[in-house]
Amino acid sequence: MTVGATGGAAAPTLRWRSRARTIEGIEQELARIWSQPDLTTTVDGSPGRHVAARTSVMNLVVVARRPEIAERCAATIQALTGRHPSRTLIVSPADPDGPSWLDAHIQAHCVLPREDAPEVCAETIFLSCGGESGRHLGAIIAPLLIHDLPVTVWWPGDPPFGSPAAHELLGMADRLVVDGSSWSESGLARLGSLARLLADQRLSIFDIALVRQARWREAIASVFDMPAFLPYLRSLRRIAVTYATHDETGDPTATNIVKPVYHVAWLASRLDLSVVRPLEAVPPPKRQPGPRGFAATLRDGRSQVAVVVRPVTSPMPGGTTLRVELLAERRGSELRADVTAEAETVRVHVWQDGVQALDRAFQAPRRTDVDLLAEAIEAGGADPVGHDALRAAGALVGSAATR
Amino acid sequence: MTTRLAPKDAHRTMRELRLAHAGRRKPPQKTLDNPLRDGLRLERMPDPCVVVVFGGTGDLSARKVVPALYQLWRTNLLPHEFVVLALGRRDQDDEGFRTEIRAGLERFSRVLPLDEAVASSFIDRILYQRLDFDDAGAFDALAARLTAIDHDQATGGNRLYYLATQPSAFSEIVAQLGRVGLDHETHGGGWRRIVIEKPFGHDLESARRLNRDVGKVFRESQIYRIDHYLGKETVRNLLVFRFGNGIFEPIWNRRHIDHVQITVAESIGVEGRGAFYEETGASRDFLQNHLLQLLSLVAMEPPATFDANALRDEKVKVLRAIQDVTPEAVRHDVVRGQYGPGWVGGAPVPGYREEAKVDPLSETETFVAARLVIDDWRWSGVPFYVRVGKRLPKRSTEIAIQFKEVPHRLFVESSSDPEPNLLAIRIQPDEGIMLRFGAKIPGLGIDVRSVTMDFTYGSAFAVDSPDAYETLILDALLGDASLFTRADEVETAWGIVDPIITAWADDGPPDFPNYEAGTWGPAAADDLLARDGRRWRRI
Repeated sequence: MTVGATGGAAAPTLRWRSRARTIEGIEQELARIWSQPDLTTTVDGSPGRHVAARTSVMNLVVVARRPEIAERCAATIQALTGRHPSRTLIVSPADPDGPSWLDAHIQAHCVLPREDAPEVCAETIFLSCGGESGRHLGAIIAPLLIHDLPVTVWWPGDPPFGSPAAHELLGMADRLVVDGSSWSESGLARLGSLARLLADQRLSIFDIALVRQARWREAIASVFDMPAFLPYLRSLRRIAVTYATHDETGDPTATNIVKPVYHVAWLASRLDLSVVRPLEAVPPPKRQPGPRGFAATLRDGRSQVAVVVRPVTSPMPGGTTLRVELLAERRGSELRADVTAEAETVRVHVWQDGVQALDRAFQAPRRTDVDLLAEAIEAGGADPVGHDALRAAGALVGSAATR
Repeated sequence: MTTRLAPKDAHRTMRELRLAHAGRRKPPQKTLDNPLRDGLRLERMPDPCVVVVFGGTGDLSARKVVPALYQLWRTNLLPHEFVVLALGRRDQDDEGFRTEIRAGLERFSRVLPLDEAVASSFIDRILYQRLDFDDAGAFDALAARLTAIDHDQATGGNRLYYLATQPSAFSEIVAQLGRVGLDHETHGGGWRRIVIEKPFGHDLESARRLNRDVGKVFRESQIYRIDHYLGKETVRNLLVFRFGNGIFEPIWNRRHIDHVQITVAESIGVEGRGAFYEETGASRDFLQNHLLQLLSLVAMEPPATFDANALRDEKVKVLRAIQDVTPEAVRHDVVRGQYGPGWVGGAPVPGYREEAKVDPLSETETFVAARLVIDDWRWSGVPFYVRVGKRLPKRSTEIAIQFKEVPHRLFVESSSDPEPNLLAIRIQPDEGIMLRFGAKIPGLGIDVRSVTMDFTYGSAFAVDSPDAYETLILDALLGDASLFTRADEVETAWGIVDPIITAWADDGPPDFPNYEAGTWGPAAADDLLARDGRRWRRI
């Protein structure tokens, strides 16, 4: 059925909705949307002016294991309709041991990009399934994809990498978008599993946790844009990352540390540092219980680079990076770079042989879910730097991944 | 044609290279790469810097430069240590000027309403200083103020001088900057760059003189001549379209292309700029820069790399390959026009000679069409028809690539002949790309009709493109000169347009006005193609 056509420029408007309980029914409804004159010829009483253009630049599949996650994802995707019109399938598997069933709500949202432009419309299918159907997501999703368009799977929450369902679904995907910083416990085990997915060279992986750190990387890289500091980059001796925790028991799995680990992994991958000793939880001294963090050792040629990932009790969200410190020694001279987060800025301090040589701030306002998802989607093809960082993260996690 | 100027700091000849290798001249500095820069997804953040705007109280600054800087600030593309120092003849303090800036932003910002917190933090970074261009002492004061700003705001001695003034002031400002040493780039003392707005001279001689004056003080690598057309998203996409797709480049040559049409049509008149337009006309205002830039992007060979000099080398090669425009060729292949009264968009409009500040007997052209020939391997025998005009029926900038007809007509029973394929690249408005091809009309017979595949940016990427000034100012701050015109490019373009203007001057008074406002120019422009058996594409 068609729905009222109101809404201002750039505000997505619900223009169509219907329901189906079989795959064939969904396919019929999708075909029917575009044969409706109400949808494709007039808007706001201006006959023939804003002809709706059905546009899709990709298939976006979202696996939402809880209804509230599905709703949150749908809101984010609707905000992207104008920017990345997609056929979106939001799949919520439920009750795997019950009888097989399928229920789909089909919607078309349209956006008027400019007053003089045609409307851009895209379809969203909210698909719930139970029983055996829910265990074969690939079989449900495959017939609903638009031919020849790339398939992006956005998997919020804790994706069960390695499970048959994940294997089946990711087998048809070109791109996987996850948020490692939202994973339960330390996130290290899942990070190791995500890194192993790189073996499938067709799949581009975007971790929003890594995308979110772009301004930190910019700030760290800027230190070594200065010709005087660049040679120190090959003489790193220590990388220390401090992160926020609310845990005071010393439990190494209490806080997700995917973001701090990515800082180390990115540096290791760009500088070709190999892992000598993977991350291990540092045991607390007997008389001082409390979080002690993790340590690892990297190798740069013949020299070793000590890695420390340490927690600090902080009101900031757990796992938030608070500081990245780099120490380099070269021909008897020492360079210390200290990058810290302050409100909406990232500040860089550099000391050369104890004398402050740089103090610079970068604006780093918190980015919205829409912006982050858009960036993960906008990147065409694979992100080799992101993949390198993920591969290094997998090596860093090492045995920690099994915990 | 003009002699190509190499950048001062490049080794262009074998002798220079040999001397450099023998250690008798300093070889070009080899820069080490920062491996942490690989693949950073963000736009690179410019260094801390001061943008010094000459003509800071002027129209260009208020409409374009400051709103572009604000937008860059709003989107976190400027460094925290960033200051704008606006220079003007009026006597006022920083606070008074900031009030003006806020009013200007509220009028001209691309994104409204202003974000109060962001706007305030931006406006706080704007300073004002009184400066008369012909007062030498004022430049000493400027140098002192900039030193103080570097000290107080940690801007590192990096400066972008933006000349948003009348062109007549360019040489004097540059000379004064040189006199007080504000051009010097010292080791660890920061970079110095200068942005110069078009027009770059009003003929070849004045362009050479300006290049010479600026070149006495700044190296070519420090000079950024801005032609905002090159910053437009669709113009930049032209490079991606040509060199980022495998299917077009193999047919982008004389074997497959019949001719090329480039149209820059404006429906507006001179909009109160009569005095300016009287001195420029369509050939100086558009043909010498925007139109020839578009032509060179369409016709250039693929550069080996995407760096500024490789790109500009290829563009200059195209301009140098354009056949000499002799007085005879001007009479035969160039058409000029001036609009008379007419109707545009359903409203009556005056003729050019009735516009304010325009000579009632003006001989200034408001329309130019030309048939240009590129003498090189790729384009031999392929005419490029270009036209630009004011008070045409609609605003449209478009490049149309007309392909050759099929070698053999197979569908003789079709009621109409299929038209040759056409690729139209719309620069503005409604940016997009259209491909026309023949298709069978459904039915029992074989009737062929042209249909189009139309790609519209707005429906695939429904996001705001940055304004050209945002793109170009950010590039200048980052030291990327790819989208700026080089001295030899400017002079070569003048070498094409100058003979046209000279031939017109020798030909006596034109028969103006010769087209009605709201039409597609004088009839002679249609004849220009008709005698080749072609016609302008209907836009």
